[in-house]
Amino acid sequence: MIRVGLAAPRRAVGLTGPVLGAALLRALLLPLGDLLSTLVFGGCLLGVAWVERGTPTLRASGGGELGRARSLLVGLMVGAVLVAPLTFGSFSARGLDGFWSWAALAAIIATVEEIAIRGALYRRWAEEAGPVAAILAGAIVFALIHLPRYGWGAMPLDAAVGLALGGLRAITGRVLPAAVAHTIADWGAWFWV
Amino acid sequence: MTRGRRAGFAALALGLAAAALLHGRLAAPPVYDGVFVPPEPYRWESPPPNLRAGNKAPLSGQATLPVLNGQVAGGGVQTDDNQVIIYFGPGTFKAPAGTQTVKCTIAPDPNPPSPPTGVDLRGNAYRVGCVAQPGGAPVTLGSSYHLTLRFPPGAFKEIDYNDGSGWRALPTLLAAAGDPYASVNAVGFGEYAATAPVGATAPSDSIFSILGRYAEFYGILAFVIIFGVIAIVQEIRRRNRRAPAVPTKKRRR
Repeated sequence: MIRVGLAAPRRAVGLTGPVLGAALLRALLLPLGDLLSTLVFGGCLLGVAWVERGTPTLRASGGGELGRARSLLVGLMVGAVLVAPLTFGSFSARGLDGFWSWAALAAIIATVEEIAIRGALYRRWAEEAGPVAAILAGAIVFALIHLPRYGWGAMPLDAAVGLALGGLRAITGRVLPAAVAHTIADWGAWFWV
Repeated sequence: MTRGRRAGFAALALGLAAAALLHGRLAAPPVYDGVFVPPEPYRWESPPPNLRAGNKAPLSGQATLPVLNGQVAGGGVQTDDNQVIIYFGPGTFKAPAGTQTVKCTIAPDPNPPSPPTGVDLRGNAYRVGCVAQPGGAPVTLGSSYHLTLRFPPGAFKEIDYNDGSGWRALPTLLAAAGDPYASVNAVGFGEYAATAPVGATAPSDSIFSILGRYAEFYGILAFVIIFGVIAIVQEIRRRNRRAPAVPTKKRRR
């Protein structure tokens, strides 16, 4: 009898749980207010990155590596491509008055998400199950954590964007371009309806 | 090229293509962090003098709903600026025989009928109508439908309905958390508008509500910055500890 054993990505799964748990906690706390739920969510993601701080999360594993400047450029380009479909919609009447503070907050939250998902989580999945699994797991987690806020309707789009950001992480070997692309895509929501 | 990079290129291409195709299906672009995007300024059909500069004209909306077995399964229509959103449940319409689709439109009315004495129309009045296609015959309602209307900053009491015989108030449900939206069970086709008693003013903000508003944003910002700085400092310290000692060159004599 031949027995085939597959190495289970235990640590990767173990890390995925808290990230999804953070989103679930956020959904449960949402009735108590946006402030509290977002604080807990952000805190949990930072906690995940904190626990994983012993392993370098800003460098690649299982993928290639680009220089910092090139990575940044690729991140900007991918962000522009993500925003491009929005520009076909009508231009929003939001002024620039409230934009800068909102944009700073969106950039920080996007970066925290990327450090947790494309940083800590990606590395664990890449180490234990390979880069393809790391990209797919990141995309699924990315879609699931936004489910409470945007509902099922936005899930395919979130999964697609998660896939693109995971690909960006694998190509560049860095979290920074994913954070840049993510932030630019977020900012687009301010300017287009 | 490594396997990881190949997978990365494939994922990036697939993800971007899928995102481009899926974007058009959503009413509004999402923010991929769940961060709340403030609503854009109210679009006035006839803006007050102080808001004329920068005002954008309100948009209309339309949708074509298929008829299956003589019945519309339900669906929704909204204006392109999301100031009016309507949802029709199954069996809302009674369409004439031979109807293939029902076309519903929402359009801002530049000259709405005058409100009753003592009542102000607040913001735009919208005309809602549905016709059977082909032919354009009017459809009738079998039951009420759900209408959500955005109202401008300032006083608001309720949504009024005008079917051509004059304005009348409908039981109105306000959105939670101070969002400028209200909903009604709409009873017919015609005009809908937000109203308030003449001379009414918006409830003023208390010092606690103002503080609460700012505390929310700056609280999150401070929290993220503090933990971010701690994480960066820890990372730098860890890297410094790991950095190998630079070997010193020994000269041979």
